[in-house]
Amino acid sequence: MLFENMTMAVHAIKANKMRSLLTMLGIIIGIGSVIAIVSIGDTMRFMISDIYKDVGTTLAYVYIWPSDGSDMRQSDYFSVDDIDRIREVYKDEITYIDSSSQQNVEAVFGRNKVKFALEGIGSNYPNVHKINIIYGRNLNEGDIKGRKNHVVLEAEGAKELFGTENAVGKSFRTTIYGDTDDYDVVGVYRKEENPFLAMVNGSSENKEGYLPESILVWPNDTIYNIRLYAKEGTDMNSFSDRFSQYIAKSKNRKREDVTFYSVSSEMGSVDQIMGGLSAAVGGIAAISLLVGGIGIMNIMLVSVTERTREIGIRKALGAKTWDVMVQFLTESAILSAMGGIIGVITGAGLVFLGGTLLGMTVVIKPMVIIIAVGFSALVGVFFGIYPASKAAGKDPIEALRYE
Amino acid sequence: MWKKKEVIPDYITQNVSEDLIKLVDMVKIYDTGSIKVLGLKRVNLTIKRGEFVAIMGQSGSGKSTLMNILGCLDRPTMGHYFLDGIDTADLPSDDLSAIRNRKIGFVFQSFNLISRTSALKNVELPMTYAHISKKAREKRALELLERVGLGTRYEHMPNELSGGQRQRVAIARALANEPPLILADEPTGNLDSASSVEIMELFSKLHNEGATVVLVTHEEDIAAFTNRIIRFRDGSLVSDTPNIPVSKREKEESEEPEEPEEPEEPEYQSGDALC
Repeated sequence: MLFENMTMAVHAIKANKMRSLLTMLGIIIGIGSVIAIVSIGDTMRFMISDIYKDVGTTLAYVYIWPSDGSDMRQSDYFSVDDIDRIREVYKDEITYIDSSSQQNVEAVFGRNKVKFALEGIGSNYPNVHKINIIYGRNLNEGDIKGRKNHVVLEAEGAKELFGTENAVGKSFRTTIYGDTDDYDVVGVYRKEENPFLAMVNGSSENKEGYLPESILVWPNDTIYNIRLYAKEGTDMNSFSDRFSQYIAKSKNRKREDVTFYSVSSEMGSVDQIMGGLSAAVGGIAAISLLVGGIGIMNIMLVSVTERTREIGIRKALGAKTWDVMVQFLTESAILSAMGGIIGVITGAGLVFLGGTLLGMTVVIKPMVIIIAVGFSALVGVFFGIYPASKAAGKDPIEALRYE
Repeated sequence: MWKKKEVIPDYITQNVSEDLIKLVDMVKIYDTGSIKVLGLKRVNLTIKRGEFVAIMGQSGSGKSTLMNILGCLDRPTMGHYFLDGIDTADLPSDDLSAIRNRKIGFVFQSFNLISRTSALKNVELPMTYAHISKKAREKRALELLERVGLGTRYEHMPNELSGGQRQRVAIARALANEPPLILADEPTGNLDSASSVEIMELFSKLHNEGATVVLVTHEEDIAAFTNRIIRFRDGSLVSDTPNIPVSKREKEESEEPEEPEEPEEPEYQSGDALC
């Protein structure tokens, strides 16, 4: 009987294709936008966790920023000695700490000039951040302790500057803090492009590379910002508290003046943004589902009136109140569920299209689709109750007389 | 979840009475709010199993009202209507639906087939509401269409069939649940005379095979096919007379020997005479 009702319903919907489609529109938009926003959220979360997998989830930046808006004092900056002290005090909790220094330079080789953003790193940086070396080697302790003019460049930059990716052993000339010097390439790495990061940061003209941090901090010994990696599995929230307190004390500042910026705090803010966005789109979706549901109720009322005679025939032939009721409820549920399915296809399709254009891996969870279609069917049942009971309550004699 | 448990009282499924239709002091009053209209005045009537009866009358004579009550589409205001021994006066509408489904096969003037639905599906409809399995439904529907001479047209939609063919589909549908009573309301009213004769011959054949057929008509030559003619005027039964059907008259004239049901005919005749 259920199958009978379903085929009848599909029949009736097919008989008025255009009308049915227009009726479904509200549901299509509602379900489509829900699917789109949920999938965008899931995709973002997936991409962010993917980035953090590369960067490391225990990464944090710490600096002093007076919370009362007053100027910074000289003592608010860190020195190399400060960093060494912190490394010693927190040696059980921190796996890596450095001065988070970076310089934009112009590298010259013969006639070629390429702009590089060179990042200063400490000796065991490659242990906490993956650098995918394809030629030569990473910077080692000897390079850093000895302040050697050694660099590791990304493959694309090396190719642009030297005409070949394998630039190990070649050197270029550049100026850092006013000193022009030659720098030797000891390694070349393949930069892993994260499309999401590229989208957020915008594409940079600068190529990237690493050099010993000792070269970048030497002249003035003022470090604004320290970068650290806590031990794998550290609870970043409690660590943030303890560490900030320690820094505040050592710099004679209040706890609020220390900013501890970590990946998990960034994750929290992304969730916050997505939460706000989801609430807004959820509201729109709820309204369009409501409007869509009313549209379905309206068209079902029209359909019931149009098919008064059919209802009369069915009742005369033995259909009970419940049979007629179920027939029309099934029809409105299927109408609405079809809208839901089309909405899922449209929403997921748009997200997929956008993802493909941006080169992202799109995450669309099957559970979301099932819930969306199921919910749209429920909307159909709910808004079908009134028209269906109107149909079921018709008097067979009156209905048979209806022209 | 969707299927409500089928509860049909035993009295509906069991045939209990030799008097298929029995009206006792039956009155129907239409209450339109401001005025009350007397539809039928104290009707007493008995129709036995196996009869072929015509109910005649002008429009406004009350024959349509009677039809609705006989068809369990409406309830008497006073008195009783026993269909197969069941008093229908106080039954809830779902029970009346079950009675219509099992006990009555309707044939309407305007065919009342469901549009955009194949002949086969139309014939299956009463069996669907009787919760008969799909396979059994299809098998029986095909047999019935075969029986009314439309065996090859089961896939046709109603609008692809002629009036006579549509009425045959409707008759096949009326026979679907093997109801004891076939109730036909002006079955030839929308047909040309050739088709009308064909349809009436089909009713005669069904009657000869044992069916009880009650038809409402205002045409004398249609009523002439039946064994008994009941006339109504102004809501009252005015005459109830036996009739020698046209087919019988022809048969008597030509003495066709190959008609096997013929010996049973006098039995009906005597039954009619009692009323």
